[in-house]
Amino acid sequence: MSQAVLEARDVSKAYRRHQVLRGVDLTVWPGQLVAVVGENGSGKSTLLKILAGTLAADRGRVRRCGTLGYCPQDPVLNESLTVGQHLRYFAAARRLSSLARAGELMDLLGYEQYRSQVAGELSGGTRQKLNLTLALLHDPDVLLLDEPYQGFDWETYLRFWDLVGDLLARRRTIVIITHMVFEQDRFDLLADLADGHLTPRGASPGRDDHARR
Amino acid sequence: MPAADLAPSPAGPVARPGAPAFRQFPVAWRFALQNQARNRLAWLLLIVFVPVWYELMASIAGHTPLTFRLYATGRVLTVDGGHLTLITAGLNAVTMIVGFAVFAAVRRTLAFDKRLVFAGYRQATLIAAKTLAIAVIAAAVAAYTSLVLLAFWRPGPAGWAAILAAFTVIALAYGAFGLLLGVLVRNDLEGFFLIIMGSLMDTFLQNPLGNPLANKPVLEWFPSFGPTQFAVAGSLGHTALWDHLALGLAWPAAFAAAGLLIFRARTRTRTRHDHRAAALISAWGHATKKHAPG
Repeated sequence: MSQAVLEARDVSKAYRRHQVLRGVDLTVWPGQLVAVVGENGSGKSTLLKILAGTLAADRGRVRRCGTLGYCPQDPVLNESLTVGQHLRYFAAARRLSSLARAGELMDLLGYEQYRSQVAGELSGGTRQKLNLTLALLHDPDVLLLDEPYQGFDWETYLRFWDLVGDLLARRRTIVIITHMVFEQDRFDLLADLADGHLTPRGASPGRDDHARR
Repeated sequence: MPAADLAPSPAGPVARPGAPAFRQFPVAWRFALQNQARNRLAWLLLIVFVPVWYELMASIAGHTPLTFRLYATGRVLTVDGGHLTLITAGLNAVTMIVGFAVFAAVRRTLAFDKRLVFAGYRQATLIAAKTLAIAVIAAAVAAYTSLVLLAFWRPGPAGWAAILAAFTVIALAYGAFGLLLGVLVRNDLEGFFLIIMGSLMDTFLQNPLGNPLANKPVLEWFPSFGPTQFAVAGSLGHTALWDHLALGLAWPAAFAAAGLLIFRARTRTRTRHDHRAAALISAWGHATKKHAPG
């Protein structure tokens, strides 16, 4: 008696005459780590926006269960607010009563020292850390991350995977969009997006050994 | 996943809805105001442009007597052209600064506001906070511009109060106009151009010094008509044209209503929080140790 947390059926999307997605199907189960891989312009971000509900598909159906965290590719921040103010703003949006999780995430991603700095003065990597933190602030059941580690240095990249390991250990579900995958065996499911079609490469049995260190 | 992970629990990593939370309105209101006030160019315009503009306009106008017809009463006033010009210069400065500041702030944060709504911010709360912040900024700019006016002309308490009221109404109108353009236009230049052109046409056409054909009925259809009539009647004609002030308020109401409707449409999200489904996952996670096959 299992229930998929994310289910896309026959999702299609065109920008005017340019058909980006042609009947995409995707099923994601609780606790899975999934990668959607594709070249630049293949429609990955479009697919993720449709899965998140920020963009309407022309055809098809998306069903999603549980709370959602969506991390867009370009950090959507308010340049005149500090990091701390961003956290308070999103804590209010999520109706949270504490910033404890925000503190944990800042500590984990290593940017606690920028709490009082305005977003407009942050480096690209730190902006991305804040972008990711805002998506994770409410500890969502399902996480949709669009190129989440772009701009990260190696140290932060490793910290990111520690964070992913922690989330998976607590049976959160994560879908990552990326144009390249370095460590395929981290993922339960890798799916290639090309010519508007999503083709699974199949489940990798090695995930438990690698991603859940 | 244990069921407790999804239950409201202050002891968990994140407190879920139900616990005393960060209240949405105070947070949104404070940050909206701060966002408006962070515009350095607007501050510079206030500090430098307003007095320089008054000085420049006063020196150009001199003290030539000008005739000005009050529409409401039909009276023709012969007034000091310099004083009339100071009123229109003030109206002009207020419209440009408030319009520009609000437009820039709204436009800059539109995508961010959409993300906030997507994250669960109530649109109505965000809209109310934004509207209140715009009104406060508009009133503050109007008050400041009215105070600076006193360095050039002392119209008397009642006259000054009329000017302050007129400046406040026109500031609200252009604040709302900035909001409307901020959610409507595609790029910054379009918005700035429309604000500057709108402000110039609107305020200068009301001034008989700038427009010798002033007092044509068509001028009634401009936002600054009501406030100009009210300010001139109050400060130079000793008459309070309340209906014209009210007419001036119709413009901010109309601009704001249109702007907020578009804001609402542009920040709308399709996401719904499916608590029933969340509970199902919780139950499923409780009963299962390993993930299901992909």
